[in-house]
Amino acid sequence: MKLIQFASITKKIALASFGLFLLLFLPVHLGINLCLLREDGGEWYRNASHFMGTNYIVKVFEIVLIACVLLHIVVAILLTIENFMARPVRYKVKTKTKTPFMSRYMIWTGGIVACFLVLHFINFYFVKLDIVEGKYSANIEKVDKVFQEKAMKLQSGELNEKDQAALMAQYQAISQITPEKMDNSKKNMVNLTKEEVETYCGKDFKYAEPDFYTMSQELFAKNSYSFIYILVFLVLGFHLYHAINSLAQTFGLSHKKYSPVIEWVSVIYAVVVPIGFAIIPLWIMFVK
Amino acid sequence: MDFTLKIWRQENRKAKGRFETYKISNISPDCSFLEMLDILNESLVNKLSHPVCFDNDCREGICGMCGMYINGHPHGPDKGVTTCQLYMRKFTDGETITIEPWRARPFPIIRDLIVDRTALDKIIQEGGYVSATTGGVPDGNAILISKHKADEAMDSASCIGCGACVAACKNASAMLFVSAKVSQLALLPQGKPEAAIRVQNMVAKMDDLGFGNCTNTYACEAECPKQIKRSNIARMNREFICAKVASEESTKR
Repeated sequence: MKLIQFASITKKIALASFGLFLLLFLPVHLGINLCLLREDGGEWYRNASHFMGTNYIVKVFEIVLIACVLLHIVVAILLTIENFMARPVRYKVKTKTKTPFMSRYMIWTGGIVACFLVLHFINFYFVKLDIVEGKYSANIEKVDKVFQEKAMKLQSGELNEKDQAALMAQYQAISQITPEKMDNSKKNMVNLTKEEVETYCGKDFKYAEPDFYTMSQELFAKNSYSFIYILVFLVLGFHLYHAINSLAQTFGLSHKKYSPVIEWVSVIYAVVVPIGFAIIPLWIMFVK
Repeated sequence: MDFTLKIWRQENRKAKGRFETYKISNISPDCSFLEMLDILNESLVNKLSHPVCFDNDCREGICGMCGMYINGHPHGPDKGVTTCQLYMRKFTDGETITIEPWRARPFPIIRDLIVDRTALDKIIQEGGYVSATTGGVPDGNAILISKHKADEAMDSASCIGCGACVAACKNASAMLFVSAKVSQLALLPQGKPEAAIRVQNMVAKMDDLGFGNCTNTYACEAECPKQIKRSNIARMNREFICAKVASEESTKR
């Protein structure tokens, strides 16, 4: 029974292609995460997340990436159902055929990673999309500048009564930005909650952005989160090991000379990338 | 040697099947698996009960007729052999042997351990051949083929179409079978003219018949009695991609 009306090989190639894009994105994400290891109070990390959050080319890739994540998951689930239906009566004796361990559990390792991805999205991506509330930081200089501009308008009598009242409230609020809210590690940055961003700077204020640095530090401060994080990347390693090998096979890249190279790339990638991610909570737990 | 056999019995395609347990003793270690079943059947006939039905023909491992799922392995625990070439010395004395028919949606059970593998023939009918016109016999050396290619094509052609790959695959996929058939022709110049349409037609038929999708687990390769390699599947994927992208011919529905 077909749930997706394409040739089986087309479906395989589609699944592999979506996965390939995710494979290419992982090192980018890893690069940004490794900025957390720098003892610069999150300067590099914040700059990197600022770039990823604001650059227009990245924004286009972001849509492609989210589409790939969703399609990879949906196609994988549909194919698994199709495959299950291809054998309506199961064997009584479970298979004793020796096959690569990882290849048999791709849907399960993928499922675990997908569950973590939901958590990860709630923690970070949905904050960026303004669905979930997180921590924010704003550039105090820019807050000041916006405030000054509005004050100028007030002086020249351009504002109506309602706006005047709002501006006064804002003035009151800004005067309450206490020194302890200032982020010493980064000049002119204040750590704020969403409510504070709105009262200080107005809803349309563009210079406040989610403070992923503070949020990640808070998450990694919890040992339970770090433990789950490391475990998930171990599982992802298993998933990735089969992924690259399988990708080559699906694209028809099988060659006596190059297949062993692909095998090695597969192993190295599946070890290096998850270890790279897992180093961060380990570093925070044991070194910092 | 003595064995306890648990064998799937099913009257016909629609009947409900069940496992029956039989004791069998005094089996020579040099007895083949099918001969052991013959001995069992003889005793069943003597008791006026219906013998266990199973497919077999050449009994020398080349026809691809025999095939049963023995203790979690298609064609049993031995490597690179069909059920008829499996000997009882591969089992331990007193072992319980569970024998099941191939399980796959496109392989309905005919009776007991016999399944209908017409699905594989239907795939071949979609293009697993070279269209030959009549005429004089061409000269043997008219078309040069490298030894390497010829050997590879020969390896692919050694597929006997027994269906063990489908039986072994956790998705009941026929990719190893189809890819071997596509490869043996795609590797040789005689098969090239029809290669693009062949792979598309055969894959389309395979999908229509209800085989599962390949997830690159390679159980097929591990269990194939003719040790057909997974590189055939990669070749078929490659042929399929090239045909879809470059060829103007496509499967007509």
